[in-house]
Amino acid sequence: MSEKPHIVKSYEEQLQLLKNTIVKMGTGVEKQLENTIQSLVKKDISLAEKSIKDDELTDKYEINIEEQVVNLIALRQPMAIDLRETVVALKVSSDLERIGDLSKNISKRLTKIGTDLPNDITKNFEIAGLKASKQVNAVLNSYLHRAKDTAENVWNSDEEIDQMTNSNMEAAVKHLEKNKNDIQKVTQLLFMLKNIERIGDHATNIAEQVYFLITGDYLEGDRPKG
Amino acid sequence: MSKIKAENVNVYYGSKQALFDVSIDIAEKEVTALIGPSGCGKSTFLRCLNRMNDVIEICRVEGSIKMDNLELNSRKLDVVRLRESVGMVFQKPNPFPKTIYENVAYGPTIHGIAQSKEEMDQIVETSLKKAALWNEVKDRLDEIGTGLSGGQQQRLCIARAISVSPEVILMDEPCSALDPIATAQIEELIDDLKKEVTIVIVTHSMSQAARVSQKTGFFHLGKLIEFGPTDKIFKNPDNQQTQDYITGRFG
Repeated sequence: MSEKPHIVKSYEEQLQLLKNTIVKMGTGVEKQLENTIQSLVKKDISLAEKSIKDDELTDKYEINIEEQVVNLIALRQPMAIDLRETVVALKVSSDLERIGDLSKNISKRLTKIGTDLPNDITKNFEIAGLKASKQVNAVLNSYLHRAKDTAENVWNSDEEIDQMTNSNMEAAVKHLEKNKNDIQKVTQLLFMLKNIERIGDHATNIAEQVYFLITGDYLEGDRPKG
Repeated sequence: MSKIKAENVNVYYGSKQALFDVSIDIAEKEVTALIGPSGCGKSTFLRCLNRMNDVIEICRVEGSIKMDNLELNSRKLDVVRLRESVGMVFQKPNPFPKTIYENVAYGPTIHGIAQSKEEMDQIVETSLKKAALWNEVKDRLDEIGTGLSGGQQQRLCIARAISVSPEVILMDEPCSALDPIATAQIEELIDDLKKEVTIVIVTHSMSQAARVSQKTGFFHLGKLIEFGPTDKIFKNPDNQQTQDYITGRFG
């Protein structure tokens, strides 16, 4: 359904502000994730440090969105599409905050172990990380443009990241069997790989919320898993 | 189970048509809310259910309205008996300028329901208890009904309506003149009454419709635009006009 503006302009503005804040938070989280991955790709630890620092802003956005949502519920009693808009914003902001946290966590591990890491594992990490970034970008676009099909695509393609993670973990363990001195680095890399997989899961959660926002229905069936 | 089934109801005030082909199934012992902007026909429809439109000379009702297979729109129908089965509560509390006791006893008296003073006392007490007013008025039943607060007066009107054991109660914006506490008391009462009675309520308060009803019908320009489970109507209505109205995008 295409929506007419509300009769009460200030209500319209509050809902628009909520949407804009989600988009801003999403853009920030995307950048955080990108910096984290590029830090490893470009072997530039300052990018990881930037990602850690930027997580403060992500947390602030989450609190701000929560305040906006509580105000809307208390003061406007939103109904139908407006109610879904409000509830979905709360849930999406929480998933975005987790993506920010996971990026920060990866960055922290990187600052601990440095960027001089086994090439085969970092290559795998890079591929999975870029895939996760793409998922986050696509799902934010689906939110911005109310694109149901894009949300469904994100939901369906999380399986790929799961599969990548499984094989990347196996490869990392195999590397460790041959290079026992790398134990500290590889252990950290295993957590980093797992974090990428979790980021994919949060993108999928957001896809479910966007689908609900647009249709009022829940995505049915089991989420594809690798 | 359906209590009232309206089919293709058209209502005219002189040459002006107020309702267009309204068909609706009102479920037994449920609360059905009718919402819509002023002049949309929701009160007109409500008044068809106990033939209140009869008092408007230029009003003409066409179509079928059956309550348990009894055709309510038949000229042969005993309207007094109908109003014993289908009670009504109005926007503004309108107790009679009589005592609290007489207000409640009025219906049972004219319908010859009580056989003795004891039986009448019992009906008055039970009705006031069901209307959640007994504790507040039991020691002053001989005081004038219009001396009560607005919320108490409205509950007195509900007690008066239920004193004849109706099967259906129609409520036309019953809380619009009441404060939030009195409104909550009426809503609690509606929740309680629906165990025994079918209730149809017209309200301008979206949140009230959402709180008290199980089914909601949205009227616009004399047409029933959408009718369905209340949670569906308020969470994800099928019709764009319904969504525009309940989200404040109308106009």
